[in-house]
Amino acid sequence: MMEVRTMRNSLRVLCAALAAAAFGGFLGGCSGGDTAQTQADPGPQGSGVNLAAVPPSAYPLPDENEAVRFLNQASFGANDAEIAKTRQYGYSAILEDQFFMPSPRTHEGYVNAVGASTLGDEHVMHTFWREAATGQDQLKRRVAFALSQIFVISLQDANLQNYRRGVASYLDMLTRNAFGNYRELLQDVTLHPMMGLYLSHLRNRKEDPATNRVPDQNYAREVMQLFSIGLYQLNPDGTLVLDGSGQPIETYGPNDIVGLSRVFTGFSWAGCSSTSTSCFNGSGTQSPNREVLPMQPFPQFHSTSEKSFLGTTIPASTASDPLGDLNRALDVIASHPNVGPFLGRQLIQRLVTSNPSPAYVGRVAQAFNTGRYQSGAYTVGSGQRGDLKATVAAILLDVEARTAPTGNPGKTREPVLTLAQWMRAFSARSASGNFLIGTTDNPANSLGQSPMRSPTVFNFYRPGYVPPNTAIAAASLVAPELQIVNEVSVVGYSNFMRSIVQSGVGSNSPRDVQPGYAAEIALAHDANLLVDRVSLLLTAGSMTAGTRNLIVTAVNSVPYPGSNEATARLNRARMAVFFTLSSPDYLVQK
Amino acid sequence: MRASRRQFLKTCSLMSIAGAASPFALNLAAISSASAQTVSGYKAMVCLFFYGGNDHTNTFIPYDPTSYGEYSASRASIAIPRDAALAANATGAVASQGGREFAFHPALTAFKSHWDAGRLAVVANVGPLVVPTTRTQYQQRSVPLPPKLYSHNDQQSVWQAYQPVGEGAKVGWGGKIGDLLASQNGNAIFTCISAGGNSVFLSGETVLQYQVGSSGPVSISSISGTMYGSQGSAASSAYRSLITGTSPNLFENELRAVTGRSISANQQLSGALPAASSLSPAIPANNSLASQLNVVARIIAARTALGSSRQVFLVSIGGFDNHDVLLTQHAQQLARVNAAVDAFYSWLVQLNVQNDVTLFTASDFGRTLTSNGDGSDHGWGSHHFVLGGAVQGGNVYGTFPPTTFFANGNPVDVGQGNLVPQLAVDQYAATFARWLGVSDAEMPLVLPNIVNFSPRYESFLP
Repeated sequence: MMEVRTMRNSLRVLCAALAAAAFGGFLGGCSGGDTAQTQADPGPQGSGVNLAAVPPSAYPLPDENEAVRFLNQASFGANDAEIAKTRQYGYSAILEDQFFMPSPRTHEGYVNAVGASTLGDEHVMHTFWREAATGQDQLKRRVAFALSQIFVISLQDANLQNYRRGVASYLDMLTRNAFGNYRELLQDVTLHPMMGLYLSHLRNRKEDPATNRVPDQNYAREVMQLFSIGLYQLNPDGTLVLDGSGQPIETYGPNDIVGLSRVFTGFSWAGCSSTSTSCFNGSGTQSPNREVLPMQPFPQFHSTSEKSFLGTTIPASTASDPLGDLNRALDVIASHPNVGPFLGRQLIQRLVTSNPSPAYVGRVAQAFNTGRYQSGAYTVGSGQRGDLKATVAAILLDVEARTAPTGNPGKTREPVLTLAQWMRAFSARSASGNFLIGTTDNPANSLGQSPMRSPTVFNFYRPGYVPPNTAIAAASLVAPELQIVNEVSVVGYSNFMRSIVQSGVGSNSPRDVQPGYAAEIALAHDANLLVDRVSLLLTAGSMTAGTRNLIVTAVNSVPYPGSNEATARLNRARMAVFFTLSSPDYLVQK
Repeated sequence: MRASRRQFLKTCSLMSIAGAASPFALNLAAISSASAQTVSGYKAMVCLFFYGGNDHTNTFIPYDPTSYGEYSASRASIAIPRDAALAANATGAVASQGGREFAFHPALTAFKSHWDAGRLAVVANVGPLVVPTTRTQYQQRSVPLPPKLYSHNDQQSVWQAYQPVGEGAKVGWGGKIGDLLASQNGNAIFTCISAGGNSVFLSGETVLQYQVGSSGPVSISSISGTMYGSQGSAASSAYRSLITGTSPNLFENELRAVTGRSISANQQLSGALPAASSLSPAIPANNSLASQLNVVARIIAARTALGSSRQVFLVSIGGFDNHDVLLTQHAQQLARVNAAVDAFYSWLVQLNVQNDVTLFTASDFGRTLTSNGDGSDHGWGSHHFVLGGAVQGGNVYGTFPPTTFFANGNPVDVGQGNLVPQLAVDQYAATFARWLGVSDAEMPLVLPNIVNFSPRYESFLP
């Protein structure tokens, strides 16, 4: 749709221009992403989109603070190169660039290269962090990370512990669908064997009255409660539909679960005979690729009795049709009017703000429903219901996303995103090229959150979480991320950040991932300039004067030039970064 | 829900508290200081929450030949065999249940020992209710029911909250007990303590849940000393100001409040807590629940230094949503529970507080009697355990229903062998609250719907 000029040329021009500016050496991102790559890694290729030709959105070209705000919502963190690009071309061009950015590297590819004998959870972490830190397809991966917190599977689950390759492929599947269509996403989620293991519809058998056996109801319940429509009927703006006595109206009841549970029977590992009982049971000769192949139907294990749910009835049949029934059921679920506001609100919460106004949710739901979104001269979307490009554009180009919030506090940053932002803002490099950062679960000495390791299918935190006994509760606001903030986690975060700012992060000695700080070091003789730069990168310039003064005081407590000027500069840069990462100004994204 | 609100207001007015204009929390504090019983000595209750919905049917198993026959016929492929391991955990005839016999899951060997010693009680078919409810009333929806039965997050909340509301409840009955008893403690912060993660159970109207790590208190290294080549204390004192205090932004303010609490509590705890190694036996390996219970025991050990006289704790263990691989995974989790709880009781004995601390279990819900092939699904009523020197153990309280389906004579089967509870969580909870010192008059403040049930208390605790 766009005139194609080679992206590499325009990037080169941009990089050259930037390199001529004050600080050389910190623009590593321009050289083509990470320098150290695993074998057969094609590396970044660019989107091919002619940025200059993308019609502008309703917003003027952003200033540097606005560019950082946008990038901290639309990527794993702003850095100099992306700030400059966003300022030069504007939001719509960046979105279009990202929508067409290829994803040459896959998580599964990374895991496959490790070799099964040594594979551990940490390898899924490595590939996640590598892409978060250096991937060119930032928005797609950020949306995929958001989706991984809605369509949850978890390496913490005992049933998934030996399937790291499968979990990597699940995250790839979310990434592949992030700019696709919700209906296909729902299908791919439902049939992915890792979801089948996690919510136990893999190997789920039809009912057997003789032994009182009934189908497993797990997936039938959670696909409605968590992946599509939620518990209560919603208005198009996400507010609750109330009955005559002011009570919310349930979207489904136990009988819908019973009906729908029959749909999700007769699916199991793929790559084996669909008429074989041992294949269904996962015994005998199984495909070496079964953990990454969509589950396949086994008609003899699929229920042929009547299946009633959500006002639809699939009549009893003499012929077993697992995929036909599944398609019908997912069509019904995906076309439920709740999906747009239910999913839209949660994606807003993951990317922009915890408490979007109903009008904002309504605008995003409308983009989801119509499959199209327009801002200024820029239009995006296929026109098909469930279009996720239109949905994401509606989330990021909404006036509530593009202007600092008034009347609500914003969004507490997720721990995983703080580490990602630090790596990106300060040009972190992995000596191995593989970002050897293991799990970061432990709240007492680490982040209290690792990607793909939620404690349950209800994610690390709930979209409606309200911290009890607080002014937040009194103001009727929700604060999902505060569900994992507690007296232990604040200690773990502070000490973890202090350590990584000083010594880098990851295994090996020195630690595999080291920050750059070149631009900060260049400013370190002047605490004010230094703090302003760090404030720009991490807080979009939103740091309060009180916070700024404290950080300046701390920076100045490191004598300059001291006995070794280079050391003093480095220490001052570290001080400014650590203090900013610890500041409430940073920890709450506005 | 409306009825209970009315009931609460009625209770308030009975106690001559003018409610109209005052914030609820202030009312409660006033009630508390005005009428809370003066308590003496030290008492604590520990809620052990099984996240995921424990399969109660395989946890406390019908054992006499008739009952076992019903059980094994009902759930076929996921029944536990009636073998030597089960025989070793059998209770003998239980008079309160018409002489039926039961057996603890083979992994629960210590539970059986504590039962034999008379300090472990079983409470049968307890679960969330609004009013006493029969199978027919449930089917006809002729009485108010707890919201979103069978849903994990909602039923966790229903179990833990002070009245049955689903996810989003902001106050729990452990926290409400804490509201009433916090005035007995020198440090209110150490009234409601979770070593098992964030939960609504411990949040009161005034009392805050304090979360502690399973390895004990931890400290922020940058609030003292130097860092990154700084000189003097300027950096560390600036750091303390940076992360504590207040902010106009509500989220920032909450982060600062939690951090301030963390620093203050850590300072008090780190000087008062004995080392983990002071307790014997050692913490069972590979057992997070045991680590949580160990830090609870250490905090109990420091009760005098911390000025604690009444405390409510929560510990938890996940992995109970056994839709699949039930027999293997359930046994693994119960083995962890068995080891952790047994070690905890030993630590209590070592601290000579075994008569002052009562541990009880809770979970999202029970599970279906039916099998889905190799697991069970979400249910409602469940069986639970109470352990402590004060417990009238070696007995089953409530009514243990027939382990079969309605068609075969189970009057409380509401489908798939799911149980409509015959004891409310409120009655279970009130029994602990009374033991801790909440008066009968105050009980509706902790459990508004308790007025709907009679008797209010079970006799497993005085």
